[in-house]
Amino acid sequence: MLAVVGPSGSGKTTLLRLVCGLLGPDEGSVRIGGQEQAGVPPERRPVAMVFQGYALFPHLTVRENVGFGLRVRRVRRGDRDARVHEAAQKLGLYDLLDRQPAELSGGERQRVALARALVRDPAVFCLDEPLSSLDPLLRADARRELADLLRADGRCAVFVTHDQSEAMTLGDRVAVLRDGCLEQVDTPRALYDAPATPFVASFVGTPAMSLLRRGSQVVGVRPEHVRLVPGQDAFVHAVEDHGHEVQVLLDVDGGRLVARVPVGDAPPVGSRVGVVLGRTTTWPVG
Amino acid sequence: MRVALRLLVVVVFLAPLALVLAGSLRRVGLPPPAGLELLPASPGLTAYDRLGELTPLSRLLRNSVLVVLVAVPLATLVASWAGFALAQLPPRGRRWLVGITTGLLLVPLPMLWIPRFVLYLQVGVLDTLVPLIAPALAATTPFTVLLAYRAFRRVPPELWEAARLEGASALVTWWRVGLPLVSATTTAIAAVAFVFHWGNYLDALLYAQSEATRTLPLGIGELATVDGAEQSVLFAGAVVLAVPAVLALLAVQRPLLATRDGS
Repeated sequence: MLAVVGPSGSGKTTLLRLVCGLLGPDEGSVRIGGQEQAGVPPERRPVAMVFQGYALFPHLTVRENVGFGLRVRRVRRGDRDARVHEAAQKLGLYDLLDRQPAELSGGERQRVALARALVRDPAVFCLDEPLSSLDPLLRADARRELADLLRADGRCAVFVTHDQSEAMTLGDRVAVLRDGCLEQVDTPRALYDAPATPFVASFVGTPAMSLLRRGSQVVGVRPEHVRLVPGQDAFVHAVEDHGHEVQVLLDVDGGRLVARVPVGDAPPVGSRVGVVLGRTTTWPVG
Repeated sequence: MRVALRLLVVVVFLAPLALVLAGSLRRVGLPPPAGLELLPASPGLTAYDRLGELTPLSRLLRNSVLVVLVAVPLATLVASWAGFALAQLPPRGRRWLVGITTGLLLVPLPMLWIPRFVLYLQVGVLDTLVPLIAPALAATTPFTVLLAYRAFRRVPPELWEAARLEGASALVTWWRVGLPLVSATTTAIAAVAFVFHWGNYLDALLYAQSEATRTLPLGIGELATVDGAEQSVLFAGAVVLAVPAVLALLAVQRPLLATRDGS
């Protein structure tokens, strides 16, 4: 499962549209399982797309939505019903087959969209912001459910999100995009521990890595690797209490640092403290 | 207050119709009334009998119905296709074409009278019903195309893409996804086309005024020459002309108000 993450306008959705064939590449090629896809129309690619907002046909029932592609491709009625039922069963939609999208909850709609993708029997699932149209309270559950479903199916999935925590928790690998360029593709762990560029460093993690300018280098340090000691290095700008931990915002030479400290250990705002940096990552200024 | 306003609107629109209806019930041969008359003294249907004698009513009706039966579905189809196609275009070409279509609304119709006459003459369809149906090939008026375009643009574009990913052709996408989602607008377009073709007096006068091809508006229009004692015949003609239009609008009122694409 590949998560594609990046700020808005970085080309995430464009990437999905290239994979599924709604757009053609200006240069380069799209290969799926080693097969060149140039000139292959969308409906013959082994790809299924789940749109942001799901793009269910509002005038059709769940059954008709899921079976739409089969119907367009003139699959015989018996086969069509069998395949629609199979997909509906897998996603627990069996009792909803005769409802219309307007009568479904957000989570149910998502499952209908997944079922519509599943009946195509694709090699690759493309999911565009699969969780963004869900209630934030339901998102964590939906995320786990989605992960279970896609893993159980054992298929390749590419999903796009602007939320790095979603990418880190759902993706086996995460691709970070910026302005249409790929910054890094790696496991979430590697992305966190060894970001390839300052952009990746500042994008991944909550809070993100702090970046300091040191001469001709940029030094990145994770908040958990900043230790506060008695001293005069840094000015305590603010203290944020997150309940299980406290984050201290420090003004130092060359930028701003965030430090994670245990609850109760925070220095008072406006005071000066000493700072010891543990593990750091450095890049040349680019 | 709101009820009063509504009543006012109803009165303004209904009053002429009521007067025409009342006028048509006045017996033929009586001198014309001095002023407005809400109900004739001894109402009767003699005006309708006389209407049948003065005009070949059944032929007029048949021609008019024929024109509408062909032209309204044709105009609706063309408008829907054109609007759908416009809505699918990339933004740049779309803006151009929508601009041109809107500009066409400003072309004064009299500009088209002579070119069309020459065209029909050369094709050899003058004095047939073809010139009365032909405008439907261009969706009757650019207005219907713009109506359809607006409706299709309100459909979320991912729906077109979802259909395309499933291999649906433009025609299949229009039929299975587009059309069902804009049914209210489509009904409205059909209504606009109906009103135009049913009451199309000018085209009939210009291109199809022989006995065999004359339609209802032209036939009724000729009654304007009857003398005052037979004025109620003219009213009766107007009723015959208006009733189908009112019935058609009543028939589409329910789907028009009940469907979703208005929202």
